[in-house]
Amino acid sequence: MNTILVWLIKVLIIYGGLLGTAALMTLAERKVSAWIQHRKGPNRVGPCGILQPLADGVKLFFKEEVLPAGANRLLFRFAPALTALPAMMTVAVIPFGGELELFGITTKLSIADLDIGVLYILAVGGLGIYGIILGGWASNSKYSLLGGLRASAQMVSYELSMILAIVAVIAVTGSLDLREIAQAQAAFTDWNIWRQPLACGLFVVTMFAETNRHPFDFAECEPELVGGFHTEYSSMKFGLYFLGEYSAMVVMACLATTLFLGGWSVPFVPEAHWLLGLAAFMAKTACFLFLYIWVRWTLPRLRFDQLMGLGWKVMLPLALLNLFITGALLSLTGA
Amino acid sequence: MALVKRKELSLAEKLYLPEIARGLSITLTKMFGKSITRQYPEEPLPTTAVTRGQPRLVERQDGHLACVSCGLCEAACPAYAITIDGQETDRPIEREPERFEIDMLRCILCGFCEEACPKDAIFMSSELELADYDRASLVYGLDQLRRQRPALQRRIDYIHGINERW
Ligand code: SF4
Ligand code: SF4
Repeated sequence: MNTILVWLIKVLIIYGGLLGTAALMTLAERKVSAWIQHRKGPNRVGPCGILQPLADGVKLFFKEEVLPAGANRLLFRFAPALTALPAMMTVAVIPFGGELELFGITTKLSIADLDIGVLYILAVGGLGIYGIILGGWASNSKYSLLGGLRASAQMVSYELSMILAIVAVIAVTGSLDLREIAQAQAAFTDWNIWRQPLACGLFVVTMFAETNRHPFDFAECEPELVGGFHTEYSSMKFGLYFLGEYSAMVVMACLATTLFLGGWSVPFVPEAHWLLGLAAFMAKTACFLFLYIWVRWTLPRLRFDQLMGLGWKVMLPLALLNLFITGALLSLTGA
Repeated sequence: MALVKRKELSLAEKLYLPEIARGLSITLTKMFGKSITRQYPEEPLPTTAVTRGQPRLVERQDGHLACVSCGLCEAACPAYAITIDGQETDRPIEREPERFEIDMLRCILCGFCEEACPKDAIFMSSELELADYDRASLVYGLDQLRRQRPALQRRIDYIHGINERW
């Protein structure tokens, strides 16, 4: 009974946190873009515009739902959920902190500790792309279809490099469990960003591609494809895509934190209090989230052939090379 | 025909990475720059004597309009925005408008009425904002158009200054 209650509370808090962060991300995106362009950004709803996401959500709810003629009704409705759901499911295995003791109950700061957490994230997170492809196809619109096709091509090219980059990390740690990976980086000097710098770089680049973010946002690509896969979507269905995209970004940032920045480890403070650890985790994740926005408002979008060239001719060989070197070093040192 | 010779890219340029870093540093520094946004309703743009806002009628110190309802502005108006019905009055100026309407939706703020008026009775104010829920309420009548002389003084002085140069 008690364990179920604790578990339920954890689920509520973590999912609330995820959705809240995703909502705040939409605000942060607009704020940071405004600052970069010497503007002020939304500042009318609530203090400093903090309630803007709420207003946007309410607006989306009251928008008219448009079902394009000739669209596949079932898939058209189903696709947005298929994008949002996997993104939210993956957060279940992210370890946000070590053990904590509160009101006499000891628990770990994650919903589930899977032995194969990394695989779970990659497998379930990979499902999200189906939502984009299906949405693009079910809309019965050429722009949507092109967006969906591009998304699938991009996903295949970059998922590979991403997995290879992660494999190098797994080889160093010797575990697929995210908690163990994070624990192995408890000391600042053990962070995988120092031990696997190339893998970290590759992961960060592929992370942008995986979440359809600038400069790889070919599924959307406003100037060429109107709105890409979500051209025909309106109202809350569009909101769901949005939510899915931002949740995926948050989860990816969490994953990057766990894999490369030592999860909840606080630099130079061994055995930190769990609250401090959690704060450190959030700060690191926030850095990655800021990177997402920062890059979006700096770099231009690639051309599609450049994207493919980068994926297959640069990222993949680099990832393979990194894996080869890692493997060679590991077997030579006998670790 | 000129043949454009493209410069060979150096390795650093081909890698893009230095340039990406440079771009990122530029945007980061810009982030902390001063915002140039003007928070419009709270911080309106400053107006000057040259600002040609909506035309307004001058009210004299005795509370009557300076307009003698001669109809010159009505005739000058290229947008047919002005409608005047005159009436007689016992005051020395003999005539005054009974109805003076400017359809603000038609007015193009050209200032011809101001120029045409022989009695210094109509001037372009610095009032610029125009918004309402229906068209009828944007046809301004005498009550909405009358402004005390001080409110228009800057513009009046400016126009007199121009006229003196002729
Ligand atoms: S400003 Fe021009 S358009 Fe407007 S009322 Fe005067 S003459 Fe007519
Ligand atoms: S021109 Fe001047 S005096 Fe004549 S009707 Fe117009 S405002 Fe009145």
